This record gives sequence, C-alpha cells and structure tokens, in this order.
Amino acid sequence: MLTMLEEIVLLAVDEQTGHLRSTRQFGTAYALVGAVFFDLALLRKIDTDTEAIRIIDTSPTGNATLDRILAGMAARPQLTTVREWIEEIFHGRQDLEGEALASLIRHGILRHEKSKLLWIIDVERFPVADSQRQRLVTLRLRDAVLSDGIPDTRDIMLVSLAEPCGLLGYALTEAQIAARRQRIETLSNLETISRKVTAAIAGLDATMRQAMAKIV
Amino acid sequence: MIEVTQQTRSGWCVVEVRGRADAEAADRLEETLRAALEGHPKVAADFSALDYISSAGIRAVLQAARAAEGRGAEFAVCSLSAPVRKVFDTSGLHHVLKIHGELPC
Repeated sequence: MLTMLEEIVLLAVDEQTGHLRSTRQFGTAYALVGAVFFDLALLRKIDTDTEAIRIIDTSPTGNATLDRILAGMAARPQLTTVREWIEEIFHGRQDLEGEALASLIRHGILRHEKSKLLWIIDVERFPVADSQRQRLVTLRLRDAVLSDGIPDTRDIMLVSLAEPCGLLGYALTEAQIAARRQRIETLSNLETISRKVTAAIAGLDATMRQAMAKIV
Repeated sequence: MIEVTQQTRSGWCVVEVRGRADAEAADRLEETLRAALEGHPKVAADFSALDYISSAGIRAVLQAARAAEGRGAEFAVCSLSAPVRKVFDTSGLHHVLKIHGELPC
C-alpha cells in the first residue's frame, strides 16, 4: 500500500506529460507535511487532538522519510502543537516530494526521464509507468467527494490533502467541485492535521499579502 | 484506556464508553462498536462518561458509523460529555454523524 505522501505526489503527476502539476505551490508544500503526519497517525506513531500532537511510539516504521521525521519529532519534545510541527518541517525545506517520487520510481509506478531544454536547461519528467495506481487514487478521491456516505479514513485524508494542494481539479470537473463544495469542506474539517495545514497556508498567504503591500 | 459496557434497551444496543478514547484505545473502540453493529440493527454509543477523544478516537467512531451505513443499521452517538462535545463541534462531526443530546431509549 502506498503512503499518503506517495498518493498525493502520484496524484500531482500529469499522466500525459509526466510533469508535476500543482496550482498552489506553498499549499502543496504544507499539505505534504500533513500527509507525513497522516502516515504517522495511521501507523499509530502519533496522535493529535484539537491542538496538540503526541508521539505514541518511536519504533521505526521501515519508511526512511517517516522514520526521519519521527526521530526529529522525538528529539524536540518542546514542540507540542500540530501547527508548530507543520511550520518546523515546512521551514526545514525537507524534500518530501523528491523522496516520494523516488519511492514511486522504485515501486515501478513512475519512470524518471531527464532531457535538455534549448540544449542547456535540465528538464525532469516522471511518466506514469503503472497508470492503474494513479487511476485508483483518482477514483477514490472522486467517490469520496461525490458520494454522500462516510468515506474510508484514508479517503477522508486524501480529500483533505488534495484540496489545499489544488489537486481536486485533476479528479473532478469545476462544476462538480462547485456543487460539492460543502462536502469537500466538511471532509477537510474532520481532521485536526488538515485544519492546521489550511490555517498554515492562510497564515502564509496573509504574510505574503502584507509583504507585497509594503513593497507596493 | 477505555471501559466499555453494553446493554439492550427498547430495541437499542447501548454501548457506554468511559475514559480516554485515544490512539491506544481506538482499535478497541472501533472493534466494540462494529461488534455491536453486527448483532443489532440499532446501536447507540453513550459518550456521557467519555473524558477525552483524540483524532484516532474520532476515526474509530467514523469507521464504525461507516460500517453501520454499509449494513443499513442505525448508529447514534449520544450524550456527549463537555470536552468531547467541544472536539465534535470543532471537527464538524454533526455533518456526518447522527448526534443525539440524550439516549434514544
């Protein structure tokens, strides 16, 4: 089974071109941190309440990315809230996307191609080698949004991460997203981690707007 | 750690949950509620003595509610304690769960 981090990155790969697509760069960076926390929560390594994050078990998961983050959290007990940890990992500039891509390539789901643009600029592409995996993630996302039932835990997490990444539009039409806006917000609000990811993005947006206002 | 008791009243299986529904207790909570749903068409989870619920606990309740949907069973979460109500309100769980102020029986 893929991790939440891998599923979100896989969703971001354009099946036609092999390029990574995202309409919200910072949103994606924050959401990938959220994906790691969801992976750790699913493995019962951490737990959260409305504000705090608690480490339950520091034994290794076998996944290098998750183990590195978990060890880092265990070493910094002074950080106790979900928001503090989201900011800490975001500002640490960890290459979560690159690690997930490498793992997807190892699993044979993506390929890695390098080429030159104008004979000078390196261009990387990640063509889909196993399109079924990406289609399944897309289908789960669509079903979770378009149905009225209670989705599986992982699918609730998937919706709540795809939304701040701006990835819903690759699984659903604009009309479907507009018609199901309340449902998307309901699912995105269920989890503390996604609420805090959304708050972190809003905080960054506000900071950037203030900075731009000063420049102008 | 949670303590669970179960009794049948007026056609409802009432599962009373006491203590802390956190990551350590989440599997037991989900298993208990699912087992109740397998044997009864109407299950009420009484959370009046539940002191704390974490995200893992909420996921357990949501997955039990999902199982109830799949079986066509009725599942109600009832009598939330004040700290648990606060968590449910923050998460907007009333949009996806049937939450009753009091037990339906």
